[in-house]
Formats: sequence, C-alpha cells, structure tokens
Amino acid sequence: MAEFHKLIANLRDALEHPAAEAHNGAAAASPVAVPTTKAARRVELASQFARELQAVGGYFLGTPTPKETVARVLAVAAKLGAHTVAVGAGIFTDPTPIVDALELAGTTVIRNAACADDAARAELRGKLARCDFAVVEADYAIAATGTLAMIATPERPGSLTLLPPVNVILVSAERILPDLATALEAIGPAAIASHRLALVTGPSRTADIEKRIVLGVHGPREIHVAAVWHGDD
Amino acid sequence: MSKGAVEQDFFAASEAAVADLQLRRKLENATGRHLDHVAATRAEFPAYEAERDASRRIKEDSIARLDDLLVQLKERLEANGCTVFVAANAAEARKYIVDLARERGARRVVKGKSMATEEIALNPALAEAGCDVVETDLGEYIVQLRGERPSHIITPAIHLSKEDIGLLFNEKLHIPYTSEPTALTAAARERLREVFLAAEMGVTGANFAIAETGTLVLVENEGNGRMSSTLPEIFVAVMGIEKVIPSMADLSHFLEVLARTATGQKLTTYTNFISGPRRAGDADGPREVHVVMLDNGRTTMLADPVLREALYCLRCGACLNVCPIYRRVGGHAYGSTYPGPIGSIVSPSLFGGATATLPFASTLCGACREICPVKIDIPRILLHLRWKETAAKGDGTLPTPKWPRAARRAREGVETFSRMANHPITVRVLGRLAALVMWPFARHGYVRWMPPPFSNWTRVRDFPVPRFRRRRGKSRSPAESKAANNGTQT
Repeated sequence: MAEFHKLIANLRDALEHPAAEAHNGAAAASPVAVPTTKAARRVELASQFARELQAVGGYFLGTPTPKETVARVLAVAAKLGAHTVAVGAGIFTDPTPIVDALELAGTTVIRNAACADDAARAELRGKLARCDFAVVEADYAIAATGTLAMIATPERPGSLTLLPPVNVILVSAERILPDLATALEAIGPAAIASHRLALVTGPSRTADIEKRIVLGVHGPREIHVAAVWHGDD
Repeated sequence: MSKGAVEQDFFAASEAAVADLQLRRKLENATGRHLDHVAATRAEFPAYEAERDASRRIKEDSIARLDDLLVQLKERLEANGCTVFVAANAAEARKYIVDLARERGARRVVKGKSMATEEIALNPALAEAGCDVVETDLGEYIVQLRGERPSHIITPAIHLSKEDIGLLFNEKLHIPYTSEPTALTAAARERLREVFLAAEMGVTGANFAIAETGTLVLVENEGNGRMSSTLPEIFVAVMGIEKVIPSMADLSHFLEVLARTATGQKLTTYTNFISGPRRAGDADGPREVHVVMLDNGRTTMLADPVLREALYCLRCGACLNVCPIYRRVGGHAYGSTYPGPIGSIVSPSLFGGATATLPFASTLCGACREICPVKIDIPRILLHLRWKETAAKGDGTLPTPKWPRAARRAREGVETFSRMANHPITVRVLGRLAALVMWPFARHGYVRWMPPPFSNWTRVRDFPVPRFRRRRGKSRSPAESKAANNGTQT
C-alpha cells in the first residue's frame, strides 16, 4: 500500500507544480514557520521516514490517529513488561489519554514538570535513569535520514531521550520534513540560541570494537516512533 | 613542545609496527570495512559532490574571515550565558580547566570523545590536580584502561581485536572473559552510567561553532557527548578556533558530508546543539558552560598560504583509512595526537619536535585528497612542508643538492633507464640477466640484500626477483593459453 500511496503522492505533486520546485525550492523558500504539507505528500514523507528509521535500527509504529496512538504505546509497554514509564509534555498530541491508559494498566507514570531546585533535578534524574521507557513528542522529523529533532524545554527535558533504555517518540505526521536543511530552517536560529536541541537518528550506537555495530551504548538501545495523524486538512 | 606529541622518530616506530602482522590484519579489516560503508552511503546520495563543494566553499570563507567570526561567536556565546576563554597554547588551556576544576571542587570529571583535549594532554594535567578523569567514548575508554593513546581520530581502539578487549575487560573490570562486542559494550555501559551520574564536570570538544547563534555543535553516535554536556553541573567545551562557521544554514552542508565520510552513516545518531547553561526551571543541563577557544599553533598555520587549507579539516578520519602508510603502521607510529595524512600536515605546527619529519611519511599517492570531504590538497601541503623542513636546515633558501655530481649522475641514470625501457627486447634481456644473477640469493622470490649502490633499495624493502613467466606464456599456443586462463579463473 505504501508504494501505491507514494505513486499517488508523486502524481499529485507532478500535476500541481514542476517536480524540481517541489523538492528543492518550494519547501526551502517557504516563509511559513510551521510548514504543513498536503496529506499525499505527508504519506510519502512518512513512508520514507519509516524506511530510514528502520535502516538505522529504529522501529516504526505506523501512522496512528491520536486515539490509536494510545494502543500502540500500550503494546510497547506490554512487550517490555514495563512497570515505570516517563511521559513528557505533548506538543500537538495530548499525552493525557496515554497516561490514563498506562495507569489503568497498573504502570507507574512519571510526569515531568519544571524543576525548581537541585533536589528536584536530582530526583527526576534518578527516576529517569531507572524507568523502563519514556514517551516523548518530537518537534520535527527528517524523512531523508530517519531523524527526530528534539527541542528541550522544562516540560520535555533532553534527559527523556537520553537516560531511559527505551524511547517511544511521537511526531506529528505534518511535522515530517524532507531533509536536514529544511528542518534546520524550520527550527530556526532563535530556537537554537535559547534551547538545547538534539537531532536523534536511531538508537545510541558504537562501532568501536572491530567496527562492529552495537546498539545502546550510553543512550537508549531501542527507539519506537509513531507518526501521529491528526486528520487531513 | 606540548605533551600532545611524544618524542619519537616515525621511521623507527613504523619499522616495528610494520613487522607486526597481527596489527596489520586488524587495521586492514577495520579500515576496509569503513571504506565499504563510505562507498555505499555515497553511492545512494547523488547530491554528495554538490554538498562537498558547498562545504569547501564555506570553510574557505570562514577561515578567510576567522577574526570577525570569532569576535561574533564570542559575543553570542557570552550573551547566551557561556564563559569564554581564549587559550594561546596548550598550557594555557590546561591551566584554565584545571583551575576551574579546583575552584569548583570538581573531582569527578567525565570526558566525551574529543581530539582537542587529547591535543592539549588534558587528562594527565587533571589527574595531577587530583581529579578522577574517565573517558566515556567506548573506544577512548578502552585505550584509557590500557594506558595508551588513541590510534585513530574516529576509532581510537582500531589497533585492538575484540579478543584483546575481552582480556582487558576481564582484567580491569573483573567481568568473565568474553569477546562478544555486545557483551563488552553492555559491561562498559553499566560501568560508565554510574560514572556519568556522579560526575561534577564534563569536558568535550566541538565539531562546529555557529557564530550567528553562539551555538556549539557536537556530533557523535554513542551519547557520551550528550551525557557529558547534560548531566554534570559544569560543562567545558574545548574547540580549535578553526571550528567556527558563519550560520546555521551553513551547518547542514557539513552534516550531509561529515558522517557519510567519517563512518558511512547518513547522519550520526546524535547531533547536539548547545548554546548555554540551563535556564530557570530546566530539569537538566549544566549550571555553567565554559568554552575554551584554542589557538595552539593554528594562527601560524593560517599565516602560511599553502598550509592554511589544513584548517578546513573536519576531523572525519577518512584520510587515515585510505592511506597506504597508515593502513600498515597504524596510528601510534606517528607519535602524534593526529596520525595519518592529516596528522602529518597539522602535527608539525601544533607540536613541533619530532613530528617535523611526519610530512616525509607519505607516498604522495593522493588517495587522501580524493576522499577528503572538503577536498584538502594534502599531497601538495606535504610537499610544501617537506620543502620547508629541508630549507629550515640550510640557510632558508631552496636547498642546492649536496652532491651535484651525484645528482647529475642520477638524472642521467633515469634518462638512460627511460630510453632503455622504450625497447621491450632490451628490458626482457636485462631482466632475465638480472634474474639469473639474483636467483641463487633469492628467498621466496625476493632478494633481501644487494651490494651498493642497490643496497639503498634493500635497506628499506626487499627486491622482487624478475621471473621468466612471460616467455612461458608466449610459447604456448593460443588455445593452450586460453585453457590455462580459464582454469585459473574458475
């Protein structure tokens, strides 16, 4: 089906404007801070993202609606036999239903709130280091490389994608951008100067022993990504 | 001379290294695998050459206005809440960091992978001040446990097999012996996680510094740089002054070529952007961010119009992997923090001393220039540095040959040879004659010693004895020879 969606997406693109412009000029020159693309193009980018994510060792959880996303997260929790899950604040996807469902299933949920002092910070750090996995929303995704852009905020700290052994990352399907240059432009210099940004491409990995690839050195060893579909416009 | 380089002669060290057949096998394996990855990743990225050209242009531009960009970078970093220290040499940089650790009472220091801190020999200085310094990049951790220096810019433990590392972990970490990379990595993860959570100070390098926003960019795969820059209260980044680029828009070009050349990935696992300390309410991040801008000989390189190009280097390490010399002797023989072709051109300016002879450690084959993501003309710089080194020994002018008659005879000899080589029959007759003379002295088809003046050759390499193979091939009938060829091919 993905191939078919891709074909249709390509046809629509071709009919609307010259192909060269669609790939290079149009997206890059757009003055809109939050680029939203049409559903067809979105499917194409999501499937490219999925391929690249899998190529670097990540798992793609499909393009669920916000409602379906809850079930996907629960499935990961069940597979891991998770007892404790950290959940970061959402951007476009409200994580409350996920939290409720996890708690209903008997899981302890760590909600991240801004930390006022050193003690709070140390406590949170300890919790994140011990939890089974973390659910967090990414600001953007990059289709060409299978990358997730995470802008750190007090409610969505960088540690969420660093300390837990497994990550479930949600990204809004309309926030999947074609390439690195487009993504950096969308994020913008102002955001980078005032927040920490991490581009995450797959699980933590090393090739330091005889150039053999091993996943999960310091960061997460597993990354699951759901491209949340908020409906067609 | 800084402690970053060991006083040792490359030519003596390389002789020992080249005789180590185990080392050569490990190097050939690892570098070969790297080159396969690189070739595959590039093949599926048609824009590679365009991105490479763009990166080169941005580096040319940035280095040409390094002064203005550094002023801008310093301003923006300070505006973001960082403390900036400009170190003229390695000693100043070391002192700043050691004093900082002492003042803040930081005793447990974690290091992310960084060549600049190797260059300034930071670890021994911190250890002397009573700090417990732990390298957290897996490869760096391994060489630190062995009490060695990294032998590669990207793959510090490239000279070790998984069995070597298994024995090392068994001895130092007291885990049961295993040579399984997954198990070894898991053991290191567990050990280093505790170290990270307890560390008071983190030190890393920086791959890029964006002047426009005052942002350091740290590129890595394991998460050691991210940990080191997120968890400890004090974070120090040591960056060579050449790392500055104008704007965020420039960055994507470099990121498109860097990982593809360094490891054969499209993008590294983590690209970390650090602009300053944590803000009110932040749940993590350091309280203080210090940026050490390191000159340490780079201004001298900038002043040399030919050598200047060496400052474009992204430290991807690919030139090491293609270099026929590096692949045979490994990194330790170079006696410098930066081995391989790029090391041979930057080490003399950064370290001086014995590294001045490194430009001679090359066959000038040009493979490094071909693979370089920013197209640094390394062979040209090598020749330039050879000329400088030779001229420095005389009165500063181009050296005249010491033995003019010998030089003339050598030239005539080459001319005679080229005339002779144009006559296939002469070559064949002389070759056969030489074979007859040498045959009694040959072992496995090679002569290990010849009398002067040929001893100049056999002093450093064995001479292959010419054979009669060609004549035998010719004497066969076409059908016979075809059959023989088919036989060897299948």
